[in-house]
Amino acid sequence: MEPQRMDKADFITALFLSIFGLAIVIVSLRMPDFRNLGANPYSAPGIVPAVLGAILSILGMVLLIRSISRKGYYLNFSFSGILFLFKQSSIKRLLIAAVLSLLYVALLGKIHYFILSFSYIFIFILAYEFNLKERILRQKSNFIIAFLEAFLIAGSIALVFQYLFLVRLP
Amino acid sequence: MLPGLTELGIQISQFLTARYIFDILWSTQLGIIVGMLPGLTATMGVALMTTLTYKFATDHAVLILICMYVGAIFGGSRTAILINIPGTPANAATTVDGNPLAKQGRAGEAMGIATTGSFLGSLFGMFMLAVFTPILGNAALKFLSFEYFWLTIFGIIICGTLTAPKDPLKGWISGFFGLFIAMIGMEGMHAYRRFTFGNIDLAGGIELLPAMIGVFGFSEILMVMKQPAINIVSSKVGKALPYPREILKYWGTIIRSGLIGTIIGAIPGVGEDIGAWVSYDFAKKASKHPEEFGKGSVEGLMAAETGNNAAVAGAIIPVLSLAIPGSAPAAVLLGAMLIHGIRPGPLLMIENPTFVYQVVAMVLLATCAMFILGLLLINVFVKILLIPRQRLMPVIFVLCVIGSYALSSRIFDIWVMAVFGLIGYAMKEMDYPVAPAVLGIILGDLLDQNLRRSLILTKGNITPFFSRPISMVLILLIFFTIASRIRYFQKLWAILLQKAKK
Repeated sequence: MEPQRMDKADFITALFLSIFGLAIVIVSLRMPDFRNLGANPYSAPGIVPAVLGAILSILGMVLLIRSISRKGYYLNFSFSGILFLFKQSSIKRLLIAAVLSLLYVALLGKIHYFILSFSYIFIFILAYEFNLKERILRQKSNFIIAFLEAFLIAGSIALVFQYLFLVRLP
Repeated sequence: MLPGLTELGIQISQFLTARYIFDILWSTQLGIIVGMLPGLTATMGVALMTTLTYKFATDHAVLILICMYVGAIFGGSRTAILINIPGTPANAATTVDGNPLAKQGRAGEAMGIATTGSFLGSLFGMFMLAVFTPILGNAALKFLSFEYFWLTIFGIIICGTLTAPKDPLKGWISGFFGLFIAMIGMEGMHAYRRFTFGNIDLAGGIELLPAMIGVFGFSEILMVMKQPAINIVSSKVGKALPYPREILKYWGTIIRSGLIGTIIGAIPGVGEDIGAWVSYDFAKKASKHPEEFGKGSVEGLMAAETGNNAAVAGAIIPVLSLAIPGSAPAAVLLGAMLIHGIRPGPLLMIENPTFVYQVVAMVLLATCAMFILGLLLINVFVKILLIPRQRLMPVIFVLCVIGSYALSSRIFDIWVMAVFGLIGYAMKEMDYPVAPAVLGIILGDLLDQNLRRSLILTKGNITPFFSRPISMVLILLIFFTIASRIRYFQKLWAILLQKAKK
């Protein structure tokens, strides 16, 4: 990431960390200490998280001060800037991989494992290899390779885990 | 010493059966392939293999994981030399002199030097593992809760400092974030559910392996797919077996790099990449021809590869003696040992001493397999580099998913993997090292138990935390590690040095 964008990212992260750390301290201090049950007060569940929350908050504030000194608070958000970001090919490649993978995870257990895995691998490969500007018939080798790979991999993983490792598939 | 050597010999002989040799060969080769492929790391490979070997017998599972680990750290040198892209972060230093040698038409020679350096480094580390694990384990028997508390803090601080040298603040944030993650779930003293907000799945806490698979697997897949495609031109590799006189010429570099790699590997959470770079730097400073470094220096290449493979065995030393991992793959190895019922730590030498010798034997056999496979099958497996990443990455992700699920058959673990993958990706984009976070997840429980236990013992008095000798040493180490990164102290140190010289 470029230094200017990093300072902005650090500013936002530092704000989040400082507040997050404080929230951890508050939630930790509200935890019961079980003294009414005869427990030692120093065994209270909230002690260690409170200390960690305080340390995270302090580190977040140090980062915040540093990012402010580097003018990271000039966020300069604009709609056109965000649109430009999403038009970059690297972001598109990232989003395709992320969205397909998260969709796969979300549908696990709801669709048969083999069908879902086959579809995921098949669509993933074609998402990067299919050329919209070329005719579909000219790209049939891509379809065939994607189909074969998806079928073999999804099938073998399902069989190996179900019958060799005795894992009940999701 | 003799009983130890006898026990080692017995353990080696027990592994010399057809079944074990087959396992050693295929898992080491798979490790080399994983290491070779940019986007697949040693940690990812060991984590995936842990879930796949979950139902295996303990010795088989640990053997396969160690072979995968040793193979993967070495395997990255292939791509580092041929295409200037390290297969794993541990091989980044290998590109500096390995790729220039390949461009000079000496790819085979470079591969041979890298293989031999890795072999000798791994042997050196194995020797140190055998000698120092019992010593460190015995020393750790004197540790009380106070020392363990400071040890976990020191582990986080040193890991954060060394994995983020340009911005250690981010390394420390990452480490303490990991410690907090370990607080989620049912705590060990009162069975109170912390930070679960009524969610039953969270009551069991965040499992280490799905989190690691997410951070090192899914996030890496996203990073790889974000980058533009690399056009790899497969080139023929010539003779790889180096002449013994070429190796003996650099015996000083080999021993120095082996020692440095092992020591760096033993530092909690730091890892093989730092081991390689520090070994390389020291070799350059000590070399009679430092001007050759960066232009195809055989000595530089030897130093980098010896250092990174020595760090593998080095990272296993604290795993066995302290139950604290020396690197991310070692952290997975620790998790695998716990899953299989082994209790690493100071009591290991008392409860299960043969296991330490078994691990030494496993490292030795993995090293020998790496050497043989590394020299014999260079041309064959280089073709694997031609697989397009859009055909490889979805397969890796499907394995990440089923691997995360296989441990406890919970969809929740798959979501943990996915969420930590996104967190790991965001951390990498913002220059936060992920190794301290993972170390924090591992050490969190140790910190929690020992801090509370100490406070109970002392009835809230914190004086013993600062008065015990070993605690004082750890506190001083923590102080100097942090102070060395603060500009005020750096300037003060420079002024004091100047005055001392006058």
